[in-house]
Amino acid sequence: MNSCSDVELRVVGANLPRKDAIEKVTGQALYSTEVSLPGMLHAKVLRSPRAHARIRSIDVSAAETAPGVHAVLTHADIPKHFMPVYGYFIKDQPLVAVDHLRYVGDIVCAVAAESEAAAVEALARIRVDYEDLPVAASIGAALAPEAAELFPEAPPGIVPAYGDGASAILRPGKNICYQFNYTTGPPSAFERCDHVFEDTFHFSRMHHYHLEPFVTVAEARADRINLWSACQNPFPLRKELARMFKVPENRITVNVPFIGAGFGAKNNCKTEPVAVMLAMMTGRPVRFCLTMEESFLTNTQHAAILKLRTGVMADGRFVARESDIWLDAGAYSDASPLVAEKAGYRIPGPYRWKHIDTRCYCVMTNTSPAGPFRGFGGTQTTWAGESQLDMIARRLGIDPYEMRLKNLLKLGEPFVPGESGIDSDLKEGLDLVAREVGYFDYRKSPPKPKGVKARGVGLSIGFKDGGGVNKPAQARIKVSTNGDIYLHCGTVEIGQGARTALAAFAAEILCAPYERVSLPEINTDYLPFDQGTNASSAIAVMGQAVACAADSVKKQVLEFAASQLECPASELVLDNWTIRQGEKRHPMVPMIMRYYGGTGFEFTGEGYYKAPSDHHAPLEAPCVFWEIGWGGVEVEVDTETGQVKILRLVMSGDTGRSVNPLVCRGQEDGAAVMGIAQTLFERMIYNDAGQLLNNDPLVYRVPLAEDVPASFRSITQEQGHGPGPFGAKGAGEATILPVASAVANAIEDATGARITELPITPERVLEALTRQQAK
Amino acid sequence: MVSYLRLHFTVNGTPQALRIPANTLLLDLLRDRIGLKGAKVGCSRGVCGACTVLVDGQPVAGCSTFAFQAQGAMVETIEGLARDGALHPVQQAFIDHAALQCGYCTAGMILLAKALLAHDPDPDRATIVEWLSSNVCRCTGYQLIVEAVEDAARRMRQAAQDDPGAEA
Ligand code: FES
Ligand code: FES
Repeated sequence: MNSCSDVELRVVGANLPRKDAIEKVTGQALYSTEVSLPGMLHAKVLRSPRAHARIRSIDVSAAETAPGVHAVLTHADIPKHFMPVYGYFIKDQPLVAVDHLRYVGDIVCAVAAESEAAAVEALARIRVDYEDLPVAASIGAALAPEAAELFPEAPPGIVPAYGDGASAILRPGKNICYQFNYTTGPPSAFERCDHVFEDTFHFSRMHHYHLEPFVTVAEARADRINLWSACQNPFPLRKELARMFKVPENRITVNVPFIGAGFGAKNNCKTEPVAVMLAMMTGRPVRFCLTMEESFLTNTQHAAILKLRTGVMADGRFVARESDIWLDAGAYSDASPLVAEKAGYRIPGPYRWKHIDTRCYCVMTNTSPAGPFRGFGGTQTTWAGESQLDMIARRLGIDPYEMRLKNLLKLGEPFVPGESGIDSDLKEGLDLVAREVGYFDYRKSPPKPKGVKARGVGLSIGFKDGGGVNKPAQARIKVSTNGDIYLHCGTVEIGQGARTALAAFAAEILCAPYERVSLPEINTDYLPFDQGTNASSAIAVMGQAVACAADSVKKQVLEFAASQLECPASELVLDNWTIRQGEKRHPMVPMIMRYYGGTGFEFTGEGYYKAPSDHHAPLEAPCVFWEIGWGGVEVEVDTETGQVKILRLVMSGDTGRSVNPLVCRGQEDGAAVMGIAQTLFERMIYNDAGQLLNNDPLVYRVPLAEDVPASFRSITQEQGHGPGPFGAKGAGEATILPVASAVANAIEDATGARITELPITPERVLEALTRQQAK
Repeated sequence: MVSYLRLHFTVNGTPQALRIPANTLLLDLLRDRIGLKGAKVGCSRGVCGACTVLVDGQPVAGCSTFAFQAQGAMVETIEGLARDGALHPVQQAFIDHAALQCGYCTAGMILLAKALLAHDPDPDRATIVEWLSSNVCRCTGYQLIVEAVEDAARRMRQAAQDDPGAEA
């Protein structure tokens, strides 16, 4: 659609070097960790050692007089007119504690000093008298009748507008900050089912483990606040800070250097509020950088319990699903209400139903706050939904592959009433992974168990909506007299390669070499607005804004050339800053200089995109695109030890069209390997007292190169149905979704034993085998 | 009281003589005093390898190495790899294979690969995986990094064959 009419795609689809490649391989890429300002102080915070406590008293006097200390910040130091709490839908997380500490790691108070070491020494001099409160460190404990309320008083919160069938409630019960509901179709559908199955699944939580820590450098000068921060959503961050510190938005500048990954964690306030407050108090720039241990105490994935009641016909057709999902939100709401919205909404999976009734609750516990994490509720729902599908298939004596085929939504069929159509051929992807993993061969001739080793295969289809809800994006492109292209957009390069892809769109549409496109560093003063780099939205949402800006520039250029050449613009083609008119070639530069004189001119085009609002869409706007991850696994289970060996592992996403195939593959590889770790070993372990037992990089295990099964392969499909430029969709989350359920399904295929709790450790496999044998 | 010592070593071929507090970490010395920020601060616990530098050709975690341990040694950082504007073959292979995402592990991974290929110019995949398993990359899932190292090894062997006199 957007290509030069007579030229094949040159940039989109080619493995061109990433825009950030040279800087990153030569060590010149600068991250927020490297920002240093003259006179800069260093902040450190005192964190609660107690999971749930009141501060009876706090004495900071010895810290105030410690060497090198410039300020000690407690709640009492915050000006009364500030709003020192933050959060997405619910503003419940204080800048520093008022008097109630809700988890191990909660911020008691902060110090700014000449060095980090001086700040740490000063913190050791602070005396706090704690009064312990009962601890609720898990979903079960927080919902128990005897549990203490984490928030005895309701923090301010909102429920956004929802469309058909969706609704939400603030504080529907004790220690539940938010409940999302979605229902469609008649409940009576359950009565017509041949069978109704109820199963419960447990999902453990991981930490994002972004290698670059949370870090902010802030300065408060004259009437301005300037920040350099590792932040995925600088514009919403600016708004949040403006609200908290009562500063107009145009006096806050957020700069975002390169980010050392985030996977969701670097959305919204993390280190920023404390850095800004201390910068205001001291009049000096303040750097606040967390250690990795502190990162564990700052943001995590959501642990979850998912209870599904699924009604089916004897032939395996799905009819009705009711579900209750409890997310462990941790001690503060953060993005939990949004994750609840998504988990509640995605639990039907990519299947056809007559009735859906789901509820998802955010349960407050005395643990690290949970927030956005790659998959965003979809990982949890895929784990439960795809596991239960196989369980039901086996109970009914139907092959799980066949059962999926019976129920899969067709290409273009709306997910639920009012929604957009599914933009991937789901069967095509399923067949691909099934074939690659040898599923059909297995069905033809199932392998005989060899001694204690049993083999099996499993499939799964991960499913989520992508592109965010009701998300606008704006972009600007300007082209200098010489034809050098500036792409201005607020999409943050967090490693995913979005800026590489967006530059490719601009180059393709402007028929210019990719090398000619440059993107300035993120700065909220100069760049057009963007809601944030999340929800895999860069390609499908920002991509459309960039395409629109490029089209606008191209149109202006062609019209200008037409006026100079005194011909209709339709006769002209733009080609690497030269105008082709039939056989004739007119370079742009002399034409521009002739008309504009001086040092020339810059053509500038603006672009905008937002999915149109629609009150019939349950989430108020139809989903921009569907992010699907297909998985196939072959396992060998040692029935004596419970060891699971992955023999073949194939994960696949559909990018619609891969703007840069290698970059896309990197996304799918990376997401899948996170999924493998979550499936087999990676998790945060809390005890009942709310202590995180593996809060240490030495003990918290993330996947290394040697943990990736040798057979692992990710296959990128390009089905071509995406809404983005050239048929592209977002990528980067799909392949984390199906791993765990595919493995659990393969284990059941091999042994008949079913695992319903992550991670799938040898102990759990043995337990399941024992249960199985007892049957 | 912190004691001071004189440290003589070379960094990327340049001799350095510095008076430093005895407890200075190599990573802090490189980043904060010498101004080479390519080695990153990740876990600060010797686990992730984002801070990897080469000391006499061996990869070490700069965050867990005292500067004095590099006394008299040749230290190489990512900044020293490109010569006269030409990228090192490992750097070029990382670009060609898109073996980097956020880039935070990249300097460490590239230096690890360089050390491996100096030690074994023709490693098999298992050896590459074993070496790379001393560092963490949270983004890539490692596959493209492994492929980049395989390719770099091929290119370097080819270059050595074409020009046996040139140093790797
Ligand atoms: S920062 Fe040195 S090993 Fe992680
Ligand atoms: S590229 Fe981000 S950690 Fe490796």
